[in-house]
Order: sequence, then C-alpha cells, then structure tokens
Amino acid sequence: MTTGAAAGSPPRPRARRLLRNLDPLLIGTTLALVAFGLVMVYSTTRGGPHPFIFLRSQLVHLVVGVLVGVVILAVDYRSLAAGARGLYVLNLVLLAAVLVLGRSSLGAQRWISLGPLGQFQPSEFAKLAIVITLAKHMADRPGPYESLVDLLPFLAHIALPMVLIFRQPDLGTALVYGAILLGMLYAGGARRRDLATLAAGAALLSPLAWHVLKEYQRRRLLVFLDPSLDPLGSGYGIIQSKIAVGSGMLWGKGLFAGTQNVLQFVPEHHTDFIFSVVGEELGFIGALVLLGLFFTWLARGLRIAVVARDRFGALAAVGIVSMVAFHVVVNIGMTVGIMPITGIPLPFISYGGSALMTMLWATALLLNIGMRHQKILF
Amino acid sequence: MDRELFERRLAVLRALIAGLLAILALRLWQVQIVQGDYFLRLSQENGLRVTSIAAPRGLIVDRRGRPIVANRPAFTVAVLPMEMRHPREEVPLLARLLALDPQDVTRRLAASRDRPFEPVRLRRDVPKEVVAAVEESRMDLPGVLVEIEPVRQYIYRDLAAHLLGYLGEISDAELRSLRAQGYGPGELIGKDGIERAYDRYLRGRNGQIQVEVDAQGRPFRTLGTVPAVPGDTVVLGLDLDVQRAAEAALGDRAGAVVAMDPANGAIVAMVSHPAFDPDLFSAGITRAAWSSLLRDPRQPLIDRAIQGGYPTGSVFKIVTASAALDLGLVNPDTRFYCPGFYNLGGHIFHDHEAHGHLNFLDAIAQSCNVVFWTVSRPVGPEHLAAYARMFGLGQRTGIDLPQESRGVVPDPGWKRRVYRQPWYAGDTLNTAVGQGYVLATPLQVARMLAAVANGGELVTPHVVTEVRSPEGQVVARIAPPSAGRVRVSAQTMAVLQAGLAAVVTRGTASSIQIPGLAVAGKTGTAENPHGKPHAWFAGYAPADAPRLVVVAIVENAGFGAEFAAPIVRRVVEAAFGIPAAPSGDRR
Repeated sequence: MTTGAAAGSPPRPRARRLLRNLDPLLIGTTLALVAFGLVMVYSTTRGGPHPFIFLRSQLVHLVVGVLVGVVILAVDYRSLAAGARGLYVLNLVLLAAVLVLGRSSLGAQRWISLGPLGQFQPSEFAKLAIVITLAKHMADRPGPYESLVDLLPFLAHIALPMVLIFRQPDLGTALVYGAILLGMLYAGGARRRDLATLAAGAALLSPLAWHVLKEYQRRRLLVFLDPSLDPLGSGYGIIQSKIAVGSGMLWGKGLFAGTQNVLQFVPEHHTDFIFSVVGEELGFIGALVLLGLFFTWLARGLRIAVVARDRFGALAAVGIVSMVAFHVVVNIGMTVGIMPITGIPLPFISYGGSALMTMLWATALLLNIGMRHQKILF
Repeated sequence: MDRELFERRLAVLRALIAGLLAILALRLWQVQIVQGDYFLRLSQENGLRVTSIAAPRGLIVDRRGRPIVANRPAFTVAVLPMEMRHPREEVPLLARLLALDPQDVTRRLAASRDRPFEPVRLRRDVPKEVVAAVEESRMDLPGVLVEIEPVRQYIYRDLAAHLLGYLGEISDAELRSLRAQGYGPGELIGKDGIERAYDRYLRGRNGQIQVEVDAQGRPFRTLGTVPAVPGDTVVLGLDLDVQRAAEAALGDRAGAVVAMDPANGAIVAMVSHPAFDPDLFSAGITRAAWSSLLRDPRQPLIDRAIQGGYPTGSVFKIVTASAALDLGLVNPDTRFYCPGFYNLGGHIFHDHEAHGHLNFLDAIAQSCNVVFWTVSRPVGPEHLAAYARMFGLGQRTGIDLPQESRGVVPDPGWKRRVYRQPWYAGDTLNTAVGQGYVLATPLQVARMLAAVANGGELVTPHVVTEVRSPEGQVVARIAPPSAGRVRVSAQTMAVLQAGLAAVVTRGTASSIQIPGLAVAGKTGTAENPHGKPHAWFAGYAPADAPRLVVVAIVENAGFGAEFAAPIVRRVVEAAFGIPAAPSGDRR
C-alpha cells in the first residue's frame, strides 16, 4: 500500500483521495517562503563577481529537496516510525563523523565535505531525525507521565546527540533540541511542574555549559548583555544589523536597493543575518508579511498535529512546529537585538543547502501526516 | 492519549507562538518605525565608526626600576577604507603627503578589504608638519583619520638593542597563528628580544571606541568606549650602570659582553656590537633602512652574545682541566715540562712560549698548551665532550630570548656525522684548548664560569626577573630552575677555582688585578680563519664569594689578556662601585 501511486489501477482512487487530503495552505505558505528565501539569497549574494553562484547552489538543493520530499510524501509516515531506531543510530554516527572529519567554519566544526557535491551539515538533518525518533519513542511509551522519572528516558534520548552537537560546538542547534523536547513533552501530556523542573535543571546546568563554550561563543553571549563590550567584534554585528533593519522603516528601501555599504558590514548577511536584509529592503511591511507566512505555516503544522491519526504522527508534527518556531523567534530576535547571537538559520530563507532540504523534508513529513489522517477505507 | 488535554495544549502552544511572533513584530515596529529615522541616517551617512584605541605597551625597566624602554605620544595617519569616496584621487594625494609609495598604500588597503570598517594605519609617528598638511587637505581626504597613539621609545637608543629587540607590523603568518589570542591586522608586535619573548605581557589590550560621525567624518557622539589596558611592566635583571659600562668598554669593536649573577642566572648586562637603533622600527622601518641593516657586512642584527658561535680558545681549558682532574689523571701538583712545543707523531704543535717546569695549577694559570695537549690524550675526545656538555656547552642555555644558538661540542661521532671523516689525534689536541671544531656562545661561557663560581650549579640564564602590572602588582616572577649540576668532585671544583684565581694573581691576566677586589677568570685567544684571534676573558668576582660573572669577547682583536680582560675589568668596577682606574693603567 505504500507504493499506491506507482502501481496499477486499483490503488488509484486511494492515491487520489490522499492527494485530496493535502493541506493547500501549508503547501502555499511553503512555496511562498521558499520563493521569498530565493529572492533574499539572491539579493544578499549578487554583489560578487559571480552573482548567481549562491542562488544556483540554493536552487540545486531546492530541487533535490523537493524530489526527496516527494518520496517522503509517498511513503506512509508510519514506516518511518518503524525505522526510528536505525535513524537514531545513523544520526549519532553522522554527528560523530563531523567531529572527526569536519571542516571548521568560523571556529566551529559543522561540515562534512562531500567533494564535488559540496558540503553537508549533519546537524541540520539531525534536528529532523531527533523529531522523528523522539516521536516514536514517546509513542512507544505513551504515559501518562506522572513524575519526572517518566520523562527521563526522553531526556536521555536527546542527551547523546546534544552532547555531540555541543562538542562541535554548536550552541544554537543544541538549544533547538531542548525546544523540540519541551514542545513534544508538553503536547505529549507531561505535567507542567515536571517540565518546569526540567527547565530549571537546564538553567542550573548552564554554568557548566559555560565552560564548554568556545571563547567566541562566550563573547557573543556577553556582548548580547552589553554590546558596547566589543563594538568592533561581536557587538558590531548586532549594531549593524539593527541599523540595517531600522533603516528599512515602513516600506523598506526596495528589493535589491539595500545600502550596499551596510550590507557588507552585517556579518553573515546571507545566512544567519539574512533577516536584517529583509528588514532593510522590504521594511516593516515586508517583515510582517514574512512573520505572517511563518505563523500560517506553524498554525497549519499544529492543525495537522490535531488531526493526526496516531500519537506518533501528532507528536512528530508538534516537534517540527517547535523546531521551526524556535528557529524563527531566535533568529529574528537576534537580528533586532533581543536574542543572543547563537548562529541558527532562518528556516526557508537563510542560504544553506542542508537547512533548506531539512525544512522541505519536514514540510513533506507534515503533509504526509496530514493527508493520512483518516482511516483509509477499502 | 487524553484527546482533550492534547488539543488544549496545542491551543496553548499556538497562543505561545503567536505571542512570540507578536513580540518580534512589536520590536520591529520599535526599531523600524519609532527609531527608523535615526537608523536610516546612520546607514546613509555611514554614521557609525568603530576604531580601536592602541594600548600603550608595557615599560621595560632595569633592576632598579629605571625605564629603558617607554612610549611617547605621536601622530598616526590612518584611513577607513569604507569612507573613502574617490580612492583613485585620494590614494596618490595621501601617499605624496605621507611620503609613501602609492602602490604600497593601495596594496595595504586591498589587504584589509574584508574589514573595511577598521582603520588601516598608513604611517605612524608622522611629523607635525605632515599632520598639518593632511589637515589642510581634509576636504579632499574623506575617511582619513589622524590619531594620537603611543610610539615605542628606546630611551638609550642602541643600548642593549639585541636584548630588548624591536617591533614590527604583524606578519600574515603571525596573524594566522595569533589571531585567536586577540592580535589584529596592522598591529605592532615584538619581533625580537624581550619585545618578542614577552610580547603577551607587554602588549596590553587595545580599547575600542564607537562614535557617531557627521557627514565630514568628524565624531560628534560617543556610543561606547572600552578603555585600553596598558601592557605590563617587564623588570630586567639588567643594571643600567653596568650595561652602560660594558657598552662603553666594548666600544665600536665587534664582540659581546655578558654579565650574570652566578647564583641565579639573572643577566646583569648583555652587549652585542655592532648594534642597531631599535627606534628605527618603532614607527615601521623603511625598506631602505631595513635592507641596509640586513646587508651590513658587520651583521648588526645578530645578537653575538647568544647567537654568535665562537671558538673559545683557552677558556675551554676549564673543561679539559676538570676532566683530567676528575678522572684522576692529574692533581694540582703533578709536574710537567713544557719545551714550547708538542710532538704528535712527527707533527709539531707550537705553544706560544716555552713554560719550562711547572705543575698543573701553574699550567692553568699560565695557560700552557703543551700541558693540556699532554693530558688530553689520556682523557680522550669522548670524555672531553662529556665534560663540555656537563658544563652546558653544545646546548641552549634556555635564556628567555628567541633564537639562541647551541654551539658545537665535537666528538668522533659528531665528526663522522657532519664531515664524514674519522677523528684524528690532532682533533683531540685542538679540542682540549678550545680550537678546532669547538664553538660556544658568550652566554654559554658565562654559564660555565657561573658553574665554577657557584660550586657546580648549572643556572638557567634569564634577562627578565619579574613582570608587574601597571599598578605595580607582581604578575609573574621569572626564576627558571637550574638545568642541573656539574658532577665533578668537590676537590676538582676547588682546584678549578684556585686555578682561575691564580690566572689573575700570577698568571696570564695579571692586568685585571683590582685593588680590594679579587677577580678570578680565564683568558682565551681563539684562532680563527677570519683574521686575528678572538680575544676572550671569562671571569668572576669576588673570587672567594662570587657575585658576578663577566665574559667578554672581542672579534679578531688579538690576545685575550690584552683586549678582553680590560673590558671585564671595567664592567666589574662598575658593578662593584669601584672608581675606574686612571686611563693610563689600561691598554
């Protein structure tokens, strides 16, 4: 039944029914976000001698992402649940491989080189892998979770990949795992007081984490508290980003019309800081449109969680929504100076093939869960 | 699953997400609508400028706290690449005003293209007239900054130049390895000597200032300042008075002087001539001045005290004597006869004179080669080399200065390796009197003398004794542990000490007798292929309770007693506060 679309005539009506169940609003916002992202990537990278080089790479990943996404859509998501254990192990292996083989960028090892295929960042895919495997794990232990002890297996579930990510070190991604865990446990019925204890425990452990952080990461956090500490280095990024966003005012300076000078001074403006260019070129209105798209996307994701046919699907949907919401809030918050710089991308918009493909597959998974929400009648 | 609870919680999650996005929207409204005009103006006028404030480098002071290296304020002309409107016109004008090569300026601007908001320092220590000219052309030079920055000042110019070192702009290779430690492009960094070895203490921490500037690039409001933290003060064991005496005593002859405390290895004076003026480097040395220093046949950049490998001549007899005594081959009263030559299988080795009948102690005092040739045969090359190494020859002393040489202690294995030749008996004879392949630095010789003076401790020499914060607190104490002990019997040590005392009282160096202060030491006259012999004297004082070791070498001068001993004498006089003898007494 998983290959319904490809087989002969009898399964056809089933496939058609499934396709009818696809969420058009989720597909629409995804398309809009992807298009938005491509335009912004072009806008931020067209300055060099090869104006299309970044856009082309992003397009290649888009195509690959969509093709794989279609496959993910075609396969019943419940078969993913069956492979969760293998996925978990594979994920750990990949994360460990980064530490061993990784190419470092800006002081952190996050990449594995795939030769001519470019670079590949396992920590992006790991986010989705965590969502799927944790959803399976929670579906297998449905609770009710009546004490903190009931939550410990799930804590252990993310602890190992989290430590590996932390070693890269990638503070932002490690925090994403925390957000995914909290969101899924909350939806999964954990008691509020246990979740509060978990959060408090994490806060108590943070001084320990401080020692693990690299010097540049500590500086970023300190600078967030007081940008004037390092106006030339990390603090400079925040200030320049605020100048870029703020100078966009209501309508923005117009697409591709951002002051080139300022663009150059916003660090990583095509990746983590791409939103500052959105703010500069498209203004408050453009930023609100983007926020609206994200909200719609997230709300549809939660809707799918509600209608999902089983606990695995529901929790996976919640996990994806938690992950994307955390990215959006932290990333945009960072560019306007209300969140520390942790180096996590803006979903669909930031330049980066691994992240884009991960987002496309997450969307495909959501659609998959959504379209199989009804019992299929024979 | 409790359906109702699940749906309720999802509703809460949705509300939470909506709330967070609303906060973002509010913040955007604040930044883009409320403060939008302000940020727009900042962006249009490039109205924000961040520059670093150069930290004053730490002082270098002598053992009594007298500054030897300090800083003075000077003008620096820099340019902010991002604020240059018409580089094509600006660069040639600026280059002309500052007397720089326009291509050089263009190259340096291009090198910092990835950080266009950081000023590129084009010229330091710019004369006042030039600053005035730059200020006059201000309208044609947007993005050009004139700043007052500390510039390194070597108060006594070329005094102790090699030991102090000099500064230079950080190289690309250095930048790559040091960036993590906070070094930035265009910074000055210690390139040699103490400036290099103690750079991390001396450099301090640069401050930063962030200002809003008007359309002409004039700052009108400071947004944030991080003050510069001055570097730490480096305290030397050097005594300025002794150093000056040593510099003067060596004069303009090529050579080196080392004065050291035999108890702990603290360097009291260290001279290498010819020297250079480190001040030439302080504001960035011109290419012409640099290449003339490099090409000077007298090699002023070499620190002869720690990098010069010289044959030691008879100073090496300290090693040969300890080996012969310690192996029990001779005692101080062993009688010898010196006919003025030594016959090695028909090959005649000539001594400088015929000493006639004498005992071993006299042989040390008179520096009789025939006696040392005679004893060197039974001692043998391996033992000679072993004792030489025990005295620290052939290895770095570990002084806290860069690029120290090892010197050479030859033995048959070494000769086979380096020259692919067998060891001949003549090589043993040459080694025994510090000729042939033996090479040592003046510092190594000083340490060897210190070991005799202090009874066998092989101290680790060090120029710095302490690092203090600008407020005067001790940040680091430099007291390196000794490198080991010279394992000879107390008797042997006593004979060596008596022998070195006899050199002065009744031997080759009677010229160094100072009334009221007993000096002990050894002369050396090292033949070499470059001309006249190198003159050595290596000694310590007072002979019975040594407090100072002094070694002097004068290249291609002649006899050690005649040319090197007087230098040591003047250094000892300065160190012990003895008024210098009338000049007629000195050669």
